[in-house]
Amino acid sequence: MAPKPIKLFYFDARGRAEVCRLLLAAAGQKYEDIRYTQEQWETEKDNTPFKQLPVIEIDGKRFGQTIAIITYLATEFGFRGKTNLEALAIDQAVQLTYDFLNCFVKVWVEKDETKKAEYMKHFKEVEVPKYLGFYEKLLKESGTGYFVGNSLSVADLSCYDFLYGLKSMGVLSTDEYPNIQNLQKKVESNEKIKAYLATRKQTPT
Amino acid sequence: MANSKITLNYFDIKGRAEIIRLVLTWAGKDFVDNRISREDWPALKPKSPFGQLPYVEIDGKVYGQSLAISNFFAREFNLYGKSNLDGLIIDQVAQLTEDFIQEIVKVIRAADPETKAANQKKVQEEAAPKFWGFYEKLLKESSGQYFVGDEVTLADLIAFDVVTGFVSDFTLPLPDSYPLLTALVETIGNNDNIKAYKAKQQ
Repeated sequence: MAPKPIKLFYFDARGRAEVCRLLLAAAGQKYEDIRYTQEQWETEKDNTPFKQLPVIEIDGKRFGQTIAIITYLATEFGFRGKTNLEALAIDQAVQLTYDFLNCFVKVWVEKDETKKAEYMKHFKEVEVPKYLGFYEKLLKESGTGYFVGNSLSVADLSCYDFLYGLKSMGVLSTDEYPNIQNLQKKVESNEKIKAYLATRKQTPT
Repeated sequence: MANSKITLNYFDIKGRAEIIRLVLTWAGKDFVDNRISREDWPALKPKSPFGQLPYVEIDGKVYGQSLAISNFFAREFNLYGKSNLDGLIIDQVAQLTEDFIQEIVKVIRAADPETKAANQKKVQEEAAPKFWGFYEKLLKESSGQYFVGDEVTLADLIAFDVVTGFVSDFTLPLPDSYPLLTALVETIGNNDNIKAYKAKQQ
């Protein structure tokens, strides 16, 4: 397979692009990591398929939608399981993470301070135990340390990345969840991921 | 998968399960279309993977998340294109649709009648033209009459479901200004399997 030049476009943040970066790092795949300032974004918006980021450019063609992009990269570089059923199990876990993420986005975008505090309370007391419980259950059922099968997949990376973000904001702790703790260790000990994490640009989000 | 036993569990509405039903129907694959009453759901909930519907049982194992499930069956039954790039085109449509559905969820989950009405207005006046516009744009960019050239894929069934399924309960009827999308919906609707299935739902 001839390598297709890849460009990734996002803001100067981890945000919704970091799972793409983790996948590309794990794959040892070179790419252009383009980060827009707000001013640049205003002019570049019309060069994207749906006026949103992240966008990936493959062989000159541009595509949007985070989950579509990470699914493509995962499939391309071997992080989507070995069979269709494994891919289903992986996709299930990925969708779960983005449901969890959407719950947090509701808190994040709320401008009214009283409502924001109320949503955050609900997130911490209801959504966090619910989703961490699902992760713990899936990991326990798998028994391999990974969500699916015996190797790293996009399910592991997307879970890891989202929890990293929430932990760094002090929103949650995974201390009470041994299988999640183990997953995080497994991701961080992957050689290529380890090297990437040690050198990646540090941004608040 | 040809010999697998598939049971789909959902409420007796189109909702989030309809796309799964459409994929299996298009593929001509038999499945148990288990439609659950609201009263029976609490007893079934512990059997579901994440306390939600839809979920499927495939040869005794359960899986949740409608997008993961519809994607799986699409891959099993040749509705996912021929390459990974085809898959990316299809997944774009699936994920855009998810964004559209999230706007509708804001109507369904609105805390009070004023917010509900405001969100409903936004769906009709902003979200619907925006997302219909994306589908039309992607169809125009395609080399054929479907999202992926001349081959029907999950993306086309998703667009059909958007225009004929629960999303359309929250929008105005699709106007003439989306000719490619309109033609696509008609073509999919004229498929024998889909026609027979729709007739059975009356």
